[in-house]
Amino acid sequence: MENVLLSVSDFVALTNQTLEYAYPNVGIEGEVSEFKVSQGKWVYFKLKDDESVVDCFMTLWQLRVPIEDGMKVIVQGTPKLTKWGRFSLTVRTIKPSGEGAIKKSFEMLREKLDKEGLFNPERKRTLPRIPQSIAVISSTEAAGYKDFIKIVNDRWGGLAISVAHVQVQGESAPDQMIRAFKYINEQEVLPEVIVLIRGGGSADDLSAFNDEQLVRAIAASRVPTLVGVGHEQDESLADMAADVRAATPSNAAQLLVPDRQDIIRSVRAQTNSLLPLIGRVIEQAAGQVDDILGRALVRIDDRIGLLQDRLRNQRSVLSQLNPETVLARGYALIRGAPTIGKLIEIETTNTIVEVEVKDVRQK
Amino acid sequence: MSDKSNTLQEKMDELTQLVAWFDGEDFALEEAIDRFKAAEALAVEIEKDLSSFKNDINVLKQKFDSES
Repeated sequence: MENVLLSVSDFVALTNQTLEYAYPNVGIEGEVSEFKVSQGKWVYFKLKDDESVVDCFMTLWQLRVPIEDGMKVIVQGTPKLTKWGRFSLTVRTIKPSGEGAIKKSFEMLREKLDKEGLFNPERKRTLPRIPQSIAVISSTEAAGYKDFIKIVNDRWGGLAISVAHVQVQGESAPDQMIRAFKYINEQEVLPEVIVLIRGGGSADDLSAFNDEQLVRAIAASRVPTLVGVGHEQDESLADMAADVRAATPSNAAQLLVPDRQDIIRSVRAQTNSLLPLIGRVIEQAAGQVDDILGRALVRIDDRIGLLQDRLRNQRSVLSQLNPETVLARGYALIRGAPTIGKLIEIETTNTIVEVEVKDVRQK
Repeated sequence: MSDKSNTLQEKMDELTQLVAWFDGEDFALEEAIDRFKAAEALAVEIEKDLSSFKNDINVLKQKFDSES
């Protein structure tokens, strides 16, 4: 190159070509300072450590997590010499580094999205009790996906499951998941639920689920969402934006479909309860018939008793009218006309006497 | 008896209605056995459906690693 004479522009272009060849993608960890957003599109900041500082540039679209001065971050990008002769790093991705910075960034984004109402309980939609078609966004190679499918298959059947295979960790994971959400939401026939799942991992592994654009895509989904990421104790912004949050992928399967064994038990219990119910109704009816018959018998007995009483009374009256009874009380029965000189017959209890009428007087 | 083309949900709704009739005011002992037989047959059908249903899993051919 000693004898080659370059223009300034060629020199800058050659330098950039060399830099791009040497550092196609360099990762740098440092502290952010002089962070600013220009014209709502461009992001400028400096990345520094104890001894050095480098200018950084990126688009606002690429800024997926909140950043502020003093925050420790890891950036991925390409070094570049600008046409104004300034050296800077063109940043593709930036993420907080270290527990403190990750937590701080998480809290800042949570507060921002919460203020916008993305996590409001009134936005939450309920999932269908028994869905017939669902879409799953996950990596088909991930253990969490396999757990989810196994439990869904064990618990339920007849479900049409469309799976969007995406990366669930790493730099490109958020964009892949966002594209999958967009693709599913643009289909002519929509699934009833979109399930986003990923198994456990480190905070860094799960950081894709705290991506602002992904959280917005979940919140904006036309289809109700169920998100099950990590373990029970892991909480991501994707969880918060979902209509239903599952603690784990396995829990997502449990929340999504009922257990067929529970339904079978319930169906059996329902039908098994019917025969005893019919038996009880028959017993009640038989009891009512017994009661009615019992009451009828009592009525019949009462009537018989009444008739017997009346019969006894009448027999008593009748016996008083019997001439024998009258004779027994000392009276006599006289037959014949009371005419002087005629014979009449006098009957008592023990005798019948014939006598002649001597005298007849009027009383 | 339920139509074969009914979804599982429809069959379960039908079973619930059949069972509810036994607790309702329209209950009549003369009809109870026929209704019980219908409920029992429907329960067997639901159980058979539940045991035999398989999920249809389709991994989308669409790639999401870049804007298409």
